[in-house]
Amino acid sequence: MELTENRTDRYVVLMPKGKFNLISAPSAKAHIDALVAAGQSRIVVDLSGVDFIDSSGLGALIGALKSARLASGDVRIAAAGEQVRAVLSLTNLDRILVPFETVEAAAHGW
Amino acid sequence: MPTTPAQEADALATATGERFDRVIRLTQAIFSAPIAALNLVGEREQHTVSAVGAPVRSSPVGESICQYTVQQPNIYEVSDLRADPTFADHPVVAGPPRLRFYAGVPLKAPSGQRVGALCILDLVPRELGSMELAMLADLGAVLERELAVEAEMQHAGEVQRHLLPAGPPEVSGLEMAGLVQQAREAGGDFYDWQVLASHDGGHAIVQVALADVMGKGLSAALLASEVWAVLRTHSRYVTLDESIGRTWETTEPSLSSNAAFVTLWAGRIDSRDGRLSYVDAGHGLAAIASARGARRLAQRNLPLGLPAVDDWNADTDVIAPDEVLVIVSDGVYDVFGSVEAAMIALQRAADRAESAGSLVHEIIDYAASHGATDDLTAVVIRRIGERG
Repeated sequence: MELTENRTDRYVVLMPKGKFNLISAPSAKAHIDALVAAGQSRIVVDLSGVDFIDSSGLGALIGALKSARLASGDVRIAAAGEQVRAVLSLTNLDRILVPFETVEAAAHGW
Repeated sequence: MPTTPAQEADALATATGERFDRVIRLTQAIFSAPIAALNLVGEREQHTVSAVGAPVRSSPVGESICQYTVQQPNIYEVSDLRADPTFADHPVVAGPPRLRFYAGVPLKAPSGQRVGALCILDLVPRELGSMELAMLADLGAVLERELAVEAEMQHAGEVQRHLLPAGPPEVSGLEMAGLVQQAREAGGDFYDWQVLASHDGGHAIVQVALADVMGKGLSAALLASEVWAVLRTHSRYVTLDESIGRTWETTEPSLSSNAAFVTLWAGRIDSRDGRLSYVDAGHGLAAIASARGARRLAQRNLPLGLPAVDDWNADTDVIAPDEVLVIVSDGVYDVFGSVEAAMIALQRAADRAESAGSLVHEIIDYAASHGATDDLTAVVIRRIGERG
């Protein structure tokens, strides 16, 4: 999975591409943890390039969300595809990882 | 548990994969030998776990050269097989491919018993120098380490299978069946049932639970063990809602520090009238089904292990005499791709099913043969005794 990063002056946008699973989840979580440790705790994960997420991918997002919130920030998700939305809804994780339509909508208020 | 070296070799013979193949390829290249192989010497058969230049998967132990290697602790080298009276008449020496040279290093299982050998074979007589002998021993040590990993995983899987119910409890009025098929030796799926209250006349409340720890393999299995034990312990003393709440409270630190979460569905069924109370903690994959239709038993609760507390209040339903309660893991759901497709398939299967056991097998077999890659679990409970 590729992971590209765009920074604005108010938040960071991460764009993972490919499968967000057992293989790619640890590096994605480490990347977000490093951002949070460096003081960048407002993070939008743009999921438009992710065609598949499994429970390990969800676990990485939840773990990242937790470390960001501890630092008074947040992890928000945007532009999730059909499979990602289906898994979020099945597990009710859409209650704490609300899927926003766009990066701008996710970053609203930051 | 295997006891003799040969039995241990047979148990390890399921070992396979790239981690063995790459050492064998390396061995073959280093020694420029036409054949390199990892053989395990079983009771009756020699199992070729990995080989270059030898297509055979297994052969009778009587024809094995490695059987001599495992009988002693050192590298066993036969410079010219044709000149050695033990091997001169061996079919692969006297006949094609007319092998001349053998060298094998015995490999130990973690128990310390010699179970097999890494060997090289050549078509010309050879003699290994001291550097080559040391290298063969090193390569053997690498394979021993891989065999130890294999044995450890097998053992973990065995322990986990023993944690799962050996069979459903005998409860009058209910027929139950459950099955887990882990994608690896061990995994994060589990199910459990408990008979919670038994009054006169065989009236019992049965609790059934199915949970899926995110991730795969040994790490998921460790966390599954904790959740299983905590839920089981609390369930004996308090209501279902309270059991789930306490399970969240107890397991949250270890789940959270591992960035893991657990989806869980648990229900209590009155064996007399089919009344059901249930809590769905982000699992979403339970339904009551019959020929008449299928209805999902899902709630909006969060899974366990999140940095958020939920109330996990139970909802109620009734399993009618012609209906079955079915709970599956997301490995099964994945092969359908949507809840709608899964519900249609479930209604058809429930209509056809002759027993809880046959429905469980049908669900797991269907998922396994339709490209499932995750752990697969299914539990079925059917009411019996009130139909003709």
